[in-house]
Amino acid sequence: MAISRSTYGTRRLAIVLFACLLVALFLLPSQSQRLLQYVGGPLGQILSVPLAAFSSVDRGISDTWNAYLALQNVHEENRQLHRDIELLKGQNNQLRESVAATQRYETLLNFKQQSPSQTLAAQVIGRDATNWYGGVILNKGESDGVRAEMGVVTPAGVVGRIVKTNSTSSVVLLVTDPNNAIAGVVQRTRDEGIVEGTSHGRARLKYIPLLSRVQAGDRVVTSGLTGTFPRGLAIGGLTQVEKSEGDLFQSAEIEPEVDLSKLDEVLIITAPYEDADSAQKLLQEIRGDRKKS
Amino acid sequence: MKFLLYLLLALVVIPFQTTLLHYFSIFGVRPDLGLVAACLVGFLGGELDGLILGLLLGCFQDMLSAGDLWINVVTKGGGGFLAGLAGRHMAHITPAVLTAGLAIISGLSSAVFLYSMNPASLDEIWMGVRSTVLVQAGFDALVGAGLYLLFRQRWSDDRMVTEGAL
Repeated sequence: MAISRSTYGTRRLAIVLFACLLVALFLLPSQSQRLLQYVGGPLGQILSVPLAAFSSVDRGISDTWNAYLALQNVHEENRQLHRDIELLKGQNNQLRESVAATQRYETLLNFKQQSPSQTLAAQVIGRDATNWYGGVILNKGESDGVRAEMGVVTPAGVVGRIVKTNSTSSVVLLVTDPNNAIAGVVQRTRDEGIVEGTSHGRARLKYIPLLSRVQAGDRVVTSGLTGTFPRGLAIGGLTQVEKSEGDLFQSAEIEPEVDLSKLDEVLIITAPYEDADSAQKLLQEIRGDRKKS
Repeated sequence: MKFLLYLLLALVVIPFQTTLLHYFSIFGVRPDLGLVAACLVGFLGGELDGLILGLLLGCFQDMLSAGDLWINVVTKGGGGFLAGLAGRHMAHITPAVLTAGLAIISGLSSAVFLYSMNPASLDEIWMGVRSTVLVQAGFDALVGAGLYLLFRQRWSDDRMVTEGAL
C-alpha cells in the first residue's frame, strides 16, 4: 500500500511540475524566458568546459581527415617523382597546411584592418543543437563583449547574426535560416530589399520594387540601414528572379557568398562603425546616393 | 546523487551533439541524443527521472540552439515524461516497443518544432515532415534501440532491482 502511494505521489509531483512549467511558459513567456536566461548563465559556464573539450576533438578529427586527404594528393604526385623525396614531400605538405592556415588568418586580419567596423575574431566550435535551425556556436560570449544582434562575417561576406549569448559562447543564426532577416541592396540597381533564409539552405531577397530591373548574376550587399552590419558587405549573388502576376514586389533567390558548411574562423562586428563621425558620414553618403537616384 | 549523474550525462551528451554528431548525420539530419537519452531514462526509470533529465538536457540544448529558450525544455521534458508514463504501464519493454515509442515521441517533438517555425504553406509543412520529421524519428528510434540493446542487461537488472526495492 505504501509502495503504490509513494509511486502515485512521485507521478503526481512530476505532472504538477511539468504542468506548472507549461503554464508559466505560455502565460508569462517573457518572464519565464528571462528566468531561463538567468538560470542559463551559470549553466553556460559549466557547459563551456566539455564543449571546449569536444570541440578540440572535433578539430583534431577534421585536421587529421584534411591531412589525410592532402597526403593522398601528395601521394599521387609522388608516384611521378623519386622515392627518396617522399618523406620530404610529406613534410612539405604539412608546411603547406600551416601556410594555408597562416594565409587564412592573414586574410582575416587584413579584412579586420580595412573594415570600418570594430570586430572580434572568433572560432566556430559547434553547430546548432537541433536540426531545425541553421546556427553555429562561437567560442566568444558575453565576457568578450559579444551581445545578441551583432553581425557575423568572414572576409567573403555575411555569415549571420548573433541570437543568443552566454558568458563564454554565443549562437549565430545563419543568413540561410528562414528566421533570419537582413537589410540588403542590389549592388547594380541600388534596389533595397530584405534578405531572408529559405528552407532549401539558400537565401531570398524579398520586397524588390516591381519596376526594378534586377537580373540573375546581380550581387547583393548589406544596405547598412539597420544597426547590425555596415554598408557594402557581400551577401551573395542573385540566381533567379521571380515576378508573379498580381504581386506588389519581386523576389529573387540568392546564392550566399560564404560557404556556410565550412566555417572555421569568423569576425563578430561589435560596432558597425568605428566611431560616431564615420557613421554620420556614411549616413550622409547614403542620403546623397538616394537623392541622386 | 541521481541528479548529479543526470547533470554529468547532460554535460557529455549536449556538447557531443553540437560538436561531433555531424559526422553521423543522414541527409543532413542528426539524431537528437538529448531526446533519446530523456526517453530511455523515462522508459526505464519512470516519469520523474525522464522529466528531470529531459528538462536538464532541454535547458542545455536551448542554450546552444538558435531557437526560443523554451522549446527544447518543453519537448525534452515532455518526451522524458511521456516515456516514463508509457514505461510504467508496460510489464516488458522489448526493443520493438521501445523503437516504436521513441519514433512516436520524436515525431511529436519534431511536430512542436515545425509548428514553432510558423510554416507559411502546406508545402512547407510537408517538406519539413519529409526532410526532417520522418528522418529524425527513424534515426532517434534506431539510436535508442541500439543503445537499449547495448546496455540491455544492465538496464534490465536495474529495473528488477528498482522494482524489487519498491
